[in-house]
Amino acid sequence: MQRKFTCIICPNGCEITAEYDTAAGSVAIHSIEGQTCPRGEEYVKQELTDPRRTIASSVLVRGGELPLASVRLTAPIPKAKIFDAMREIRKLAVDAPVVAGTVLIENLLGLGTDLVVTKSVGLR
Amino acid sequence: MTDNIDVLIIGGGPAGLAAAVKLWDLGVHSLLVLEREKQLGGILRQCIHDGFGLTRFGTTLSGPEYAQRFIDEVRERNIPYITNAAVIGIKPQISGGSGGTSARQPGLRSPEGRAAFGWSAVSEQNAGRSVEAPELKLVTAATRDGLRKWQAKAVVLAMGCRERTRGALAIPGERPAGVFTAGVAQAYMNLYNRMPAREVVILGSGDIGMIMARRLTLEGAHVQAVFEVLPYPSGLPRNIEQCLNDYNIPLYLSHTVTNIHGSARLTAVTVSEVDSQMKPIPGTEKEYPCDTLILSVGLIPENELSLDAGVTLDGRTRGAEVDEFFQTSVPGIFSAGNVLHVHDLVDFVSLEAEALAESCARYLSSGLPECALNIVADKSVNHTVPMRISGSHDVPLSLRPSRPFRDCRVVARQGGVELASKPMKKAIPAEMIQMKIPAAKISASGDILVSIEAGVRASCPSEGD
Amino acid sequence: MDNLFDCLVIGGGVVGSAIARELSRYRLKIGVLEKNLDVCYETSGRNTAVIHGGFAYNTGSLKARFCVEGNRGMTKLADDLDFKFIRTGKVLIGNSEEDMASLKRTMAQGERNGVEGLTLIDGEKLHEMVPTVNGKFALWSPNSGIVDPFMYTIALAENAARNGVKYFLDNEVTAISHGTDGNYCVTTRRGVYHTRWVVNSAGLGCREISDMLGLTGYRVIFSKDHYIILDQRCGVDVPLPRYTVPSNTYMGIHVTPTVDGNVLVGPDAEERPALPRSAGSSAALYDVPQKNIDFLAEDASILWPHIHKKDYIRTYCGILPKWVDENGVIQDFKIEIRDDVAPRAVNLVGIESPGLTCAVPIARHVLDMMKEREPFEENPNFNGRRKGIRRFADMTDEERAEAIRQNPDYGELVCRCEKVSKAEILQAIHNPLGVETMTGIKYRTRSMMGRCQGGYCQMRVERMIEEEKGRRETEVLYNRQGSQVLFDKVREAQR
Repeated sequence: MQRKFTCIICPNGCEITAEYDTAAGSVAIHSIEGQTCPRGEEYVKQELTDPRRTIASSVLVRGGELPLASVRLTAPIPKAKIFDAMREIRKLAVDAPVVAGTVLIENLLGLGTDLVVTKSVGLR
Repeated sequence: MTDNIDVLIIGGGPAGLAAAVKLWDLGVHSLLVLEREKQLGGILRQCIHDGFGLTRFGTTLSGPEYAQRFIDEVRERNIPYITNAAVIGIKPQISGGSGGTSARQPGLRSPEGRAAFGWSAVSEQNAGRSVEAPELKLVTAATRDGLRKWQAKAVVLAMGCRERTRGALAIPGERPAGVFTAGVAQAYMNLYNRMPAREVVILGSGDIGMIMARRLTLEGAHVQAVFEVLPYPSGLPRNIEQCLNDYNIPLYLSHTVTNIHGSARLTAVTVSEVDSQMKPIPGTEKEYPCDTLILSVGLIPENELSLDAGVTLDGRTRGAEVDEFFQTSVPGIFSAGNVLHVHDLVDFVSLEAEALAESCARYLSSGLPECALNIVADKSVNHTVPMRISGSHDVPLSLRPSRPFRDCRVVARQGGVELASKPMKKAIPAEMIQMKIPAAKISASGDILVSIEAGVRASCPSEGD
Repeated sequence: MDNLFDCLVIGGGVVGSAIARELSRYRLKIGVLEKNLDVCYETSGRNTAVIHGGFAYNTGSLKARFCVEGNRGMTKLADDLDFKFIRTGKVLIGNSEEDMASLKRTMAQGERNGVEGLTLIDGEKLHEMVPTVNGKFALWSPNSGIVDPFMYTIALAENAARNGVKYFLDNEVTAISHGTDGNYCVTTRRGVYHTRWVVNSAGLGCREISDMLGLTGYRVIFSKDHYIILDQRCGVDVPLPRYTVPSNTYMGIHVTPTVDGNVLVGPDAEERPALPRSAGSSAALYDVPQKNIDFLAEDASILWPHIHKKDYIRTYCGILPKWVDENGVIQDFKIEIRDDVAPRAVNLVGIESPGLTCAVPIARHVLDMMKEREPFEENPNFNGRRKGIRRFADMTDEERAEAIRQNPDYGELVCRCEKVSKAEILQAIHNPLGVETMTGIKYRTRSMMGRCQGGYCQMRVERMIEEEKGRRETEVLYNRQGSQVLFDKVREAQR
C-alpha cells in the first residue's frame, strides 16, 4: 500500500510517501521517502502505527487578572484520546496566581503526558 | 514636556521585544518599548497552540511561552517599557517644530492607480531629505498618566498586522451578528473566555482560520467546512493536516461565500464555486445553515502610524519600503516583523527584528551606507524584502511566490548574471522563502531581478521522486 | 389615569425624535415608542447623510419648503445639539447640452424655492474645486452639507429625553384603538399605552400605523439604496459631495464624503413594491447583493475614476418609504390631522429624502397643527442644548493632555483605528436612552467603525457592556432583537 503524508513536525510540511503492508494488525513498512530530516521518518512511522497529537487549551482561573490560563500537553497522546483529555481539562479550575510551567495534571489519564500551564496569570 | 531618547520601539510583540533585547545587548541603552495593551507579548498572547520557536529556540512552544521568553529577557535587562501606551503620532521633526499632532491624516494626494492610498505621493515629501542628516522624530502616545512625547533619534515600527474584514472583501448579503474574523474569535475564546460560535463555516484557508477550526472543534462547536477562493490553500500544509484532516473538516478550494443570511444572528451562508478568474459560477450555489462565519482571508500590515510619519509603503506587501538595513524611506525609521510584511512564522519575525536592531545600532553610531540597488521581482514572485540594497554586504532576501511551484528554482540575477539561486521541491505562497545574495557577485549598478523558474527538475539536488 | 400620555410618538427616527424634542418645549407627558433597540437603525441611519439645498423639489412642495428651512437652521441646530455638520457645498456635474439645460432648470427651480447661492461653474472652476472628478461643468450649491446621521438622530433623541420625553425602545406597535373617552390605546409587543395625542412617525411602517389609525388607502412603495464605504484615506480627494444631474425624484449615484472623512458611493435606488416585515422575520431587509456593489463601483467610476476594491471598508443599504399616487408617481410628504376620522392623531406618510434635512421643520409644522387644535403650556425648564461625548480623536494635543489629567480613562485608547478612549466608551454605554447594543456604542463613539471593523476593540467593548450593565455574555446584542453576539463561556466555574 502507498500513503502520502504531510509532516506536521515543523513548518516545512514535507510531503512524505510511505510504502507499507498491514497484516494481522501490524504494519510492515517498506519505504519512506520525501522527508528532509529524520524527524519526518519518525513521524510517518508513528502515524502508521499509533498516530499521536498534542493539544493546547485553557483552564479557568479564579480571581485572576485574566479569566483563563492557557495550557498544553508535554507529550503527544493517541489521537483517539484527544476528546477524553479535553474533558479532563474542562473540569479544572485554579486559583490565581498561576505560573507558567506549573504542572496541573501529572500523567493525564495515564497517558504519560502532563498538563502544563503556558501563561502566567497574576492576581486581579 | 518632551523626553529625548535614542530608540523608541513601537509595539511590544515578538518583533518589538526581539529588537529591544538585541539593541540593549549591542549597547544601546537609551531605549523604550511602547505597548498599547496591558501586557507585553502582542498577538502571541492569544495564540495558545504550539508550533512556535523551532527555528529561533530549537523547541516547540505555545505562543504565550514564546512571548514569555522575550519578556523574561527584557525584564532581566531592565529594559524600560510602558504598557497601555497607544502611540497616536510619529512626526519627523523639522528643527524645533511644534510637533502638534493632529487627529486627521496628513494631506495625501492620490493620483492614479495604487496611489489611492497616497503611497507614491508621500515619498515625494521625503525626496529632498539626505541620508546623512539625522533628524529627531517626535512620538506622541496616550497613556493613563498623560499624553507623553519623546524625541527619538530612531524609531522602530513593530506594530504587527490586522485582519482583512468582511467589508474589505465586500461579501454581499445581510449584516447579522456572528461574522467574525478568525483573530477576533480567537481573542474571544482564548483571552476573554467567551464562546462566539456553535455551528460554523470558515471562509479562507489562512493559518489562523484553520487553527480556529481545531480550537472550536475541541470546545464543542461544529465546523462544517473551510472554503478557499484560490485554487490552492493559503495556509501551511501542516495546519491542513493537523487542524482540518485530523477532525474530518473538509477544505473546498475554488469556493467562496456569495451571500450571508440572517437579519439578527447569522442563519446561513451561500457558497459558490468560482472559475479561474475567481468569479462565482452561477448554478453552483449551495446554502449552509450556520450561526457563525469565521473569516481567515488575509492579514494587512498595520501601517497607519507609518503613513502618518511619511513612510512610503510598498503596494504589494502593504508594509514599508525598506532597504537591507530595514530602514524605511524616512531615515531613522525602521520596520520589521508583520508590520513590514506578513510572516507565516514568528521565529522569522524575531530574527528579522534582531537584524533590524543591528542596523539601528549602526545607524546611531556611524550611520548607514546608501542603498542604491533596487530589487525587483517578476510576476512569479509576489514580493521581496528588502526592496533596496547597498551591495556591500551579503543580504538575506525574504520573498513569497505568487502561486504554487513544484521542482523550481528561485533565482536572483543582475544584468543577466546569476547572483544566487535556490532549488526547491515545492514553493507555495503560504511559505516565505529565504535566500542569501552574496555581496561578492553584486556589481555597483543595475537592478537585481528575482524570479522563480518552474520545471527544472534536473537542477534540483534534493532526492529524486 | 396616571399612565395617560399627552402624546405618544410612534417611531424614534430623526423625524420622530425631532417631533418629541419640539413637544418637550411644552408641559406635556410625552413618550416615544420605538420598535428597535436604538433610534437610528432604519432610514435615519441608512442614507447618504447629505443636508440638501432644496433645489431638487417641486416649487411649493413641503419637501422644498422644509428642505430650504432645515438647511438654513442646520448650523445652529448642530451647534445646539453638538453633532457634526459640515457645510461642504456640493456640485452637480454635467457633460452634455441636455445636462446643461437640466441644470439650468434645476437652478431656476432652486431659486424659486428660495435656495441661495446657486451658481453654474465651468470645467476649469470645477476642476479647481474638485481636482479628481470627471465633468465639463457643474451647478454649485454652496449651502449643501454633510452630517453624522447617527449622532444627529441620537442628539435629537437624547435632548428630548433630557427634557422629559420617555423613550420606550423594543416597543413595536401592533394595534391602536380609539376609546370612547377619546383617548388612544396603543398596544406594543411589550405593553399597552394610553395617550391623548398620537403621532405616526413610523417611517418604513407609516402605512401600517396609518391603517391602524383608520387612515386607510395610502399607497407606499420603497426605494432600496445600496452604498459602498471607502477608507478614510480616500476622503482627502472628496472634499464635497459630487452628484450627477438629478431629476426631482432621484439624485443619481453620487460620491460623497462623510463627516469622518470616509467616502460613500451610492445609492442606486432599487424600487420595491412592498417591504418584508423586519422584526422577527428572516426576510432580507438590508441585504446588499453583489450585482449592486459592482454596479455602484462601475457607475460612479464615470464620475470619479478612483474607486478601488482595496479601499472598501464595508457596504450597506437603506430603504426610503415613498408615497405614490395611483399611477405610481412619487408624491410630496403627507402630514395631516383628520379630525373626522382620527382626531388628535398626526399622520406622517412618505417621509423620505430629504427627511434628514427637513426633520426639525417637519416637527415644527406638526406642533403648529397640534397647537391650532389645543393650546399647550410652555415648559420653562426646556433646555435645547446638549453636549455630546467629547472625542479624543477631535482634540488637539493640549486638549488631550488636559482631558487625560481630568479623567485618566481618556488616556486609554480602546479603538485604535478611530482613536476612541475608554472614557468615551463608558459615556456611550451610559447613554441617556439606555441603549446597550454593540452598534449603539459604535454609532455613539465610532469604535468598531474604522478600517479594522472592530477586530481590535470589539471584545473590549463587549466586556465593558457586560460589566457596566451587569449583563451575562449571552445577553449582549449586536444590533437587533435576537442578534446575540456570544453563546456561552468557554470555561465556567462548576456550580
